[in-house]
Amino acid sequence: MAAPVLEVSHLTKKYPKLTALEDVSVSIDAGEIFALLGPNGAGKTTLIGAICGLVRKTSGSIKLLGVDLDHDAITPRRDVGLVPQEINFDPFFSVRESLDLQLGYFGRPPDRARVDELLEALSLTSKADQPTRALSGGMKRRLLIAKALVHRPKLVFLDEPTAGVDVELRRDLWTYVRKLRSEGTTVVLTTHYLEEAEELADRVGIIDKGKLLLLEEKKALMKRLGERRLEVKLRDPVATIPDGASAGTLSDDRRTYVFVERAGTPSCADVLGALYAAHLPVAEVSMAPSKLEDVLIRVLRGNGGVS
Amino acid sequence: MNVIGTKTLLQKEVRRFLRVPGQTVLQPLISTTLYFVVFGYTLGGRQGEVNGVSYVSFIVPGLVFLGIANNAFLNSSSSFFITKIQGTIVDLLVAPLGATELLIGFVSGAMVRGLLVGLLTWAAALVFTGWHLAHAATTLLFLLLSAYVFAVLGLIAGIWAEKFEQINFFPTFLMLPLTFLGGVFYSVRALPEPFRTISLFNPVVHMVEGLRAGMLGLEEGSFLGLGLLVGLAMVATAVAHRMLSVGYRMKS
Repeated sequence: MAAPVLEVSHLTKKYPKLTALEDVSVSIDAGEIFALLGPNGAGKTTLIGAICGLVRKTSGSIKLLGVDLDHDAITPRRDVGLVPQEINFDPFFSVRESLDLQLGYFGRPPDRARVDELLEALSLTSKADQPTRALSGGMKRRLLIAKALVHRPKLVFLDEPTAGVDVELRRDLWTYVRKLRSEGTTVVLTTHYLEEAEELADRVGIIDKGKLLLLEEKKALMKRLGERRLEVKLRDPVATIPDGASAGTLSDDRRTYVFVERAGTPSCADVLGALYAAHLPVAEVSMAPSKLEDVLIRVLRGNGGVS
Repeated sequence: MNVIGTKTLLQKEVRRFLRVPGQTVLQPLISTTLYFVVFGYTLGGRQGEVNGVSYVSFIVPGLVFLGIANNAFLNSSSSFFITKIQGTIVDLLVAPLGATELLIGFVSGAMVRGLLVGLLTWAAALVFTGWHLAHAATTLLFLLLSAYVFAVLGLIAGIWAEKFEQINFFPTFLMLPLTFLGGVFYSVRALPEPFRTISLFNPVVHMVEGLRAGMLGLEEGSFLGLGLLVGLAMVATAVAHRMLSVGYRMKS
């Protein structure tokens, strides 16, 4: 088991009229992709902000790369990168200059090869010498991502990295995030696109109203809370359904059979097997895979259980 | 100490104002030189000598100071404020840059602009008055001290301000009265009481007098005044450092 790169213990952040984070504890292991999910205002950005030095915590502790931020809030930042949610840019500088500056802020000497590599990876090479103000919104988002990665951080926070960007960048970024993980970089991601978390994450945390509701391996979570809907259209109405498929239901016209696979029920394959074995006149089979979105909704409605 | 980070911040600050030299260097140079021409020649022609030097020469140190103070202040205040407004403060806060690195980076960048404008003003004045430098070390000390104090005060203003209205408050309501009542165009030693004593509480008076003592060799300035300036520099540094340490109006 790799050592945790981030340990948040009992973190609370209170504003005069709002508790943004309440007793949040989470530990992130080296090399994993962790997705933090939750509705708007749940506390995702506040949590990342507290870790990255943008928000002052009220209580609790944060250990970043083995260093308690109460003792040294500066040194561990050398190996941390953040893609903030809000787009920012300095209109005085070009894309390349912005990356050079960011590299310098992190105490690294100029590294043209690294800057070129990132420009290429994020399709910014043709814009390298353009002033940042001339970039489109999507291009500015690409620059933010490049700035967060230019110093080769060990731990990267991506706070809604694909908000408002085109499908191409989203796909490019997913590819790049996988590449980062293969190189040993730890990635913490918040996103509204649950497809993104489903695609990338090893582990998922669900936060709402400042409280961490759930923290689990994505696969285990999907297995535990995920649902798969099997729908079978029949050529002719049937009178009964076989025992092996009794967990499903027949429609009123007795031509459509529906079964929902959950933890503790037979699998869709078993049920389908029973239908075929009973020689039912199957015309069409469709199956809707389990979605993280459904899981998130169930957890937020209080049906997920805290693990 | 993040030396590369501090150096990068300084370079960024200098490159930032050099990107718009017309606004950051030329415009203040012209306005300060106009003061020199208008006050020194048209109005000052009737003044005769002040403390043994021509009025035109007498106002040069004060105008050099004006160039330094205004531009050092404006650079750090506007740069830090704009950094907050455009959101790029995040780039600095997430980087391994502590309060000391941020302070040195912003202040040294502002000092470069202040000293550049101040020295160019001096060079322009030399065309009219001829070269004269009485005490190089004293001059250097007060040039640096003036630039430093106003760069730090500008940084404090930039950290404090949350609206454009607030950032514009300082040049009009603080800098202008302090500098115009700070003996730039006259000798406060010649003022009647109680204005003379009241004026001595204005730190600008001591900066201008220190520069006059250095550049012209006038018997102005005092160790008490120097002590006051050093004290002001230390207090301002402590305040700015504390604001940066806690992330005042930067971190929520």
